[in-house]
Amino acid sequence: MSLIATEGLTKRYPGGITALDGLTVEIEPGIVGLVGSNGAGKSTLLKILLGLLEPTSGTASIFDLPVATRGIAIRELVGYMPEHDCLPPDMTATDIVSHLALISGLPRAAARERTAEVLRHVGLYEERYRAIGGYSTGMKQRVKLAQALVHDPRLLLLDEPTNGLDPAGREEMLELILRTGTEFGIAVIVASHLLGEIERVCDHLVAIEGGRLLRSAPLGSFTERTGTLAVEVEDGRDMLAARLAGLGLRVVVDGSSILVDLVDEAPFDIVRDTVVELGLALVRMEQRRHRLEDLFRDDPAVGVDPGAALAGTVLAAAPPPPGVGPRP
Amino acid sequence: MSALPPISRAGNIYDLGYRRYEGPRLGRAHAIRSLVNHSFRTTFGIGRSGRAKVAPIVFGAMAILPAVIIVGGLTVAARFNFERQLDETDLIGFDNYFSAITAIVVLFCAAQAPELFGRDQRHGVLALYFARALRRSDYALGRLLGFMLAVLLMLLLPMTILFLGRVLLPADIAAAFFANLPNLPPVLAHGAIIAALYGGLSMAVSAYTPRRAYATAGIIALLILPAVVTGIVIQIGSSPIGTALALISPNTILDGTNALFFDHSLGQEYFFIDVPHWTFLVGAIVEVVVAVAVILRRFARITI
Repeated sequence: MSLIATEGLTKRYPGGITALDGLTVEIEPGIVGLVGSNGAGKSTLLKILLGLLEPTSGTASIFDLPVATRGIAIRELVGYMPEHDCLPPDMTATDIVSHLALISGLPRAAARERTAEVLRHVGLYEERYRAIGGYSTGMKQRVKLAQALVHDPRLLLLDEPTNGLDPAGREEMLELILRTGTEFGIAVIVASHLLGEIERVCDHLVAIEGGRLLRSAPLGSFTERTGTLAVEVEDGRDMLAARLAGLGLRVVVDGSSILVDLVDEAPFDIVRDTVVELGLALVRMEQRRHRLEDLFRDDPAVGVDPGAALAGTVLAAAPPPPGVGPRP
Repeated sequence: MSALPPISRAGNIYDLGYRRYEGPRLGRAHAIRSLVNHSFRTTFGIGRSGRAKVAPIVFGAMAILPAVIIVGGLTVAARFNFERQLDETDLIGFDNYFSAITAIVVLFCAAQAPELFGRDQRHGVLALYFARALRRSDYALGRLLGFMLAVLLMLLLPMTILFLGRVLLPADIAAAFFANLPNLPPVLAHGAIIAALYGGLSMAVSAYTPRRAYATAGIIALLILPAVVTGIVIQIGSSPIGTALALISPNTILDGTNALFFDHSLGQEYFFIDVPHWTFLVGAIVEVVVAVAVILRRFARITI
């Protein structure tokens, strides 16, 4: 059984904006990252799957139930965490979550019990009796996740769940998503523009850009290409590049830096040893990440030949997406 | 002082396990009932901040006040055996109590209807409702019905006080009960019509006007202005147009249905009306149907 299947899914908004452009993709159960830059069509896809939006053309199904005709049956099985604020500020977390549990069809006693459970699961305790208007963004995100879980869905659709969170809040939210997906056996689709974030929790990635599918594959198939090592030395840049290439590393010279493809941990040691061997003054060594588009190039095994050096330059010159930048 | 590590209350996640929900799912009817219930409570500020309770309490008190005064008067009269005299000079009874508190009911609608449709739209809550196992029309109708019931309670509460006062104060309670009983059907019928008409029209305005202030102004305008226009037209002296307007304006419609249900003749100001009273009831039903259709259309088309 496929979790989600779409066939030529297209959505054009009035005004000529095409959010989805013939998207055909099949997604298996698991924790799936839906990555793409802002405006790539992630939110539109989620909304179409929920029946919140009508596609212009094409079909979609969840659990083999067609979205167009079985909307209510699907929404019974799905929990949705919208990207934007969606909580009334003058209600308490307990009140809104248990109210929404009732709307999902749970009897009153069960709604109350499940509300207490999911709020505890997302880490809200005494605060849950206070009005949401006084909550921090992190607490609001937790309530949004709780309301998506309260009716015990088979699938969670999370739209930018780490939006507006500080680094610690992001960590906790990702941890929650990971646990929800792995321990509770709930399938999860996480839409995000931060690849560095969701690749930590997902086992499958679907990348879309401009409403089209870039690539859909298990996470493992691109982990070997998730990084570049930028090396800077005072003099002898070309000498070092030649020596590293001679040692079998993929190397691109980019201005004052040498970019080394990181397939595994080995290049760190090789670069260090080579620098020492050549007696060069090492200025900088930092790990960079590729941009999304580069990660999802059709052929992940393409080597860096002289012709690609230019592309490599462009790649390195572009600022890394926020949150996935170099680690100190 | 011992150096304890700082405790981050919101930051800790404890693994207490997650249980599946294996119980029944009660479906759309249950969802609609829950929405009706929630809308009713929200209208009166129950389960919300203290500030949200101010308007319903103030308007509720104002709607009840005349009934309390009348019953108080009856109590004094009963004590001093003035009952007969007071009953005859009793200015506000079952048949004209509703029109006496019309302005209060209109203000109540204008203040509280935007709390439902408007609030859900302003804060994006619609996305949470529409992502659940119900139809958009279920949401709209549940909210609408809850509000109409809230308005109905506003109307029937003073009537209940009035009824109890009239029944319990005289010496012969049984006789007073049966004497007042015939008032109940018209009170209930007319109350239901007012609640449906004012409730429906206010909710239709607020469905299209997420901004609170505009919705309030719009509701007041819709419920009051047509009556003013009708009055002006009558002054000028066109009775066919005046009649048509009286059948459209919510306020004059309710004067008409009041006359119908309590079997009165219309007041002096309606000298120009020469249609039967039931046409006002038809006017009321048509407007309620239109209001419901407008609301359903709004939520069928709204994008979130």
